[in-house]
Amino acid sequence: MSESNDHHEMSYWRKYIFSQDHKVIGLQYAFTAMFFLIFGFSLMLIMRWQLAYPGEAVPLIGWLLGETNAPGGIILPEFYNSLGAMHGTIMIFLGIVPLAVGAFGNYIVPLQIGAPDMAFPKLNMASYWSYFVGGVVMLSSFFVPGGAANSGWTSYPPLADIATTGQTMWLFGMIFLITSSLLGAVNFIVTIIQLRAPGLTWMRLPFFVWAQLVTAFLLLLAFPPLEAAGVLQLMDRLAGTSFFLPSGLVISGELLEVSGGGSPLLWQHLFWFLAHPEVYVLILPAMGIVAEVIATNTRKPLWGYRPMVYSTIFLGFMSFVVWAHHMYMTGMGTVISAFFQTTTMIISIPSVVILSALFISLWGGSIRFTTPMLFALGFLPMFGIGGLTGLPLGLAAADIHLHDTYYVIGHFHYIVAPGTIFAMFAGIYHWFPKVTGRRLNETLGKIHFWGSFVCMNGIFFPMLIQGLAGVSRRLWDGGEQYAHAQGTLWANEVMSISAWALFVFQIPFLINLIRSIRGGEKVGDNPWNATTLEWTAPSPPPHGNFSATPQVYRTAYEYSLPDRDSDFLPQSEPGEGS
Amino acid sequence: MESLLGLPLLASANGGEVDRLIVITHWLMAVLFIGWGAFFIFTLVRFRAGRNPRADYHGITNHYNTYVETAVAVVETILLVGFALPIWGAAKGEPPAEADATVVRLVAEQFAWNIHYPGPDGIFGRTAAELVDAQTNPLGLDSSDPNATDDILTINQLHLPVDKPAIIYLSSKDVLHSFGLPEMRVKQDIIPGLNIPTWFVPVLTTAEYRSIKGDPAINYEIACAQLCGLGHYRMRGFMTIETQAEFEAWLVDQGPFLIDDDDEWGDW
Amino acid sequence: MKYTMRYLSLLAVLGGSMLWGQGSISGQVKMVGSGPPLRAIKMDADPVCSAAHTKPVYPETVTVAEDGSLANVIISITAGLEGQTFATPTAVVVLDQSGCQYLPHVWGVMAGQTLEIRNSDATMHNIHSQSKVNRAFNIAMPKVIKKKNQVFKKAEAPFKIKCDVHPWMVTWGAVFDHPFFAVTDAAGGYSLENVPAGTYTVQAWHESSKRLPAQTQTVTVTDGAAAGLDFTFTPVRRRK
Repeated sequence: MSESNDHHEMSYWRKYIFSQDHKVIGLQYAFTAMFFLIFGFSLMLIMRWQLAYPGEAVPLIGWLLGETNAPGGIILPEFYNSLGAMHGTIMIFLGIVPLAVGAFGNYIVPLQIGAPDMAFPKLNMASYWSYFVGGVVMLSSFFVPGGAANSGWTSYPPLADIATTGQTMWLFGMIFLITSSLLGAVNFIVTIIQLRAPGLTWMRLPFFVWAQLVTAFLLLLAFPPLEAAGVLQLMDRLAGTSFFLPSGLVISGELLEVSGGGSPLLWQHLFWFLAHPEVYVLILPAMGIVAEVIATNTRKPLWGYRPMVYSTIFLGFMSFVVWAHHMYMTGMGTVISAFFQTTTMIISIPSVVILSALFISLWGGSIRFTTPMLFALGFLPMFGIGGLTGLPLGLAAADIHLHDTYYVIGHFHYIVAPGTIFAMFAGIYHWFPKVTGRRLNETLGKIHFWGSFVCMNGIFFPMLIQGLAGVSRRLWDGGEQYAHAQGTLWANEVMSISAWALFVFQIPFLINLIRSIRGGEKVGDNPWNATTLEWTAPSPPPHGNFSATPQVYRTAYEYSLPDRDSDFLPQSEPGEGS
Repeated sequence: MESLLGLPLLASANGGEVDRLIVITHWLMAVLFIGWGAFFIFTLVRFRAGRNPRADYHGITNHYNTYVETAVAVVETILLVGFALPIWGAAKGEPPAEADATVVRLVAEQFAWNIHYPGPDGIFGRTAAELVDAQTNPLGLDSSDPNATDDILTINQLHLPVDKPAIIYLSSKDVLHSFGLPEMRVKQDIIPGLNIPTWFVPVLTTAEYRSIKGDPAINYEIACAQLCGLGHYRMRGFMTIETQAEFEAWLVDQGPFLIDDDDEWGDW
Repeated sequence: MKYTMRYLSLLAVLGGSMLWGQGSISGQVKMVGSGPPLRAIKMDADPVCSAAHTKPVYPETVTVAEDGSLANVIISITAGLEGQTFATPTAVVVLDQSGCQYLPHVWGVMAGQTLEIRNSDATMHNIHSQSKVNRAFNIAMPKVIKKKNQVFKKAEAPFKIKCDVHPWMVTWGAVFDHPFFAVTDAAGGYSLENVPAGTYTVQAWHESSKRLPAQTQTVTVTDGAAAGLDFTFTPVRRRK
């Protein structure tokens, strides 16, 4: 035990609630984020009922939704819009980002770089509690008059400016969440730069740490514009300004009494200036996890580690100059659109490089099909579909037909759901033994994987079909009344049943998680025979992590070195190797 | 590929280009996905731990991968420069000459499409937000403007002549909307405060469309593609493409919006 | 003290009606000249709306008969009832949306009384109130939602309720803290029944408030008698 870090007994509150230990905070993030993921997913399960059976009362739980939202269990359009806006907001800002960055980043990064904790433990705690407050504000917005925010997760004004009180709550919630991310981002950057163990040079860093470092820069640089935009929208709503309102608006036949002169497009630029880098915030940590799991389970070094690192840095830079490809249809001229189409095509290249490197890493491996590996392997083709479907959307002319259709929904869900969320599952199965000293059950894990894999495709592939047919997104009745949608309406039921089945297949996972915390098979400190530093710490790691500061001798993935009996050589083990 | 993708029936002259780009892009996607997929599955089978107990430290040492990545970059460049940019330029660059086109104003509101024809004089009358009255003057058409007297207004009914460019000036009374015509491959967001033109050339009349579809009741529809509030899902308009003669007869039938009125003393 | 006051006011009301009894106010509302020229509503905006009508439908902005009888005028007592409280009627007021029109076009309710909003059409309407005293609301009624009850808690001057899906659909409602209000019928007639004897200010309000501003008159009601009170609107000329 390093004395400086573990010298006094802490009270229950200091140890588990207002903890400054990166591992406890990581777990707080993990549990809170998983709660929100399930909650946000449940919102979608309710929406999927309405889409499959428009205008029919929600069975069993319809009465729970409240008479103002769903009289007699029939979901009203305004409630549907709330569900949609909150599904997006919760899954992205309260679910995946906190899980990918807050939970995995917090728990794993200090361990992988051989640090006793994050650089600023109090900041870390503040970051979690700011996130927590943001989450509470978002949840409570369901109970204000008019319900939760209902102008989409993008909150485009003027609609959002004139929306019900829920939108104000949404903005306040976002300000807390953004503050949380900014605090976290600063902490990650300083930690990774300053607290690396001796010998852990940049090119020896595990790829996951690189991914988290670039992610932290994205959060730090992209979120402030949205925080500013959020404050401006709050002013529009509460103080009578009109940053986003032009003059002469007539709402429901009545002239809107504002000074005007604002621009709705200003919001879109500020929003997407965050929200496109945000896509990479969702993706990079996922790629990082997948890289770790693939290296461990192929028993060979990552193929093309350096190009992957350079691609990640390049992605980070490029992600700041592609935002307006979300706005092709706003009346963009030929020059600006040419610029953003070009940058969009350019940014696809590093993504292709990273994905190719991960595919090629498999070649020549000795592939173990463990549950984390299955999820990591599932990630590759699913992320592939997500990335490929981005191509026609990135070309403005093809986007004319596909913009704001279900094709877009299918595209980004392939990236985020069977993409990022699969990577998160891979990470949970991979690092669970480090956190608990026990392993998750493999049989339940495989049921979880195969069920989820089939259902995810059952949900998202039909979206691409509907999108090509031209069916718009965000329709309360799933397109029921449009002639061009008639040929693909069958897909609504398929998607809904797949969604509900997907929920069922998460039950083995939850059972597995709860059961294995106390009853899982006990394993040693390094059950996967992995090379990175976190596996040299005890499982679970004590406060302060390492009994002695580790010394790093080589790159992160020295598996199956020729001329050695053992098929792995940990980074901290003295001896030969690169 | 075209029928496989299930795109809606194409009914405009300009939409063919859009479709071609979508089809080519999907060919590229299919080739990449199948190629990667085959490699992926082969690798998983060939290098499973049971068959390959000891991994190869170096893995692939050739550079085929670089060639593939370069090829992807080249194809993307071709798609971009050869197709996407010129098609976009044609679709959203310079509008065709108004003299040879049907010019219409479309003013979106929660949750209806107000269609404004200039009437025989070809000049749109002045409209002002202060003059709007939901029941009697939805666009706030100024009756004191002589250009306004012959203007024609409809709600949700857009009629256009076939084989003639249509230029539609899009604006909004309240929030964002998006003007979508799936069969024409037309989509354009409507931004409050801006007046954005969009254009296309319809080539199939509604009658032809109906006979191809085998449905005598089917219509071209205007679909709102941008969330605009609780009625977004049913913000559906109708578009009729007809011969020039039918179109003119229809306009006459609609009649001017303003009624000749000796009462010059203000709105009711 | 509070209770004493309440008993006293109750006594005053009861006593008032026993001592001075109840009467009624009735009359007719006319307008000089004709209303604005009206163009038939383009019901083809929604096939469901056009299918509901065989004849052209005109906006109800000013519904005036050939003899000048003016319908859709809200007649109500605006002064003279101070300090009195009245029971909220249990009967509901029905506002139907039928053929993409509001039936009735103008209505009144008492605070706390239930307004039953119906959707008799196979299309969506949304009820978008522009009330200011009572909380404004905007509720969608897709074709599957046939009925929706709404209660206004506070008295409020006439305000608009709109359907945004069918922009021509406008209805005007007013909320009162007493039951002495009526809307004139097609013949311009109205009557206020069971009015406690006393002297009152009565207002006639028309939605076209720019050209037909509201008017008030004073009337005295005596026991068992029917007070007559007619109104005549002359359109105000406004320079644009």
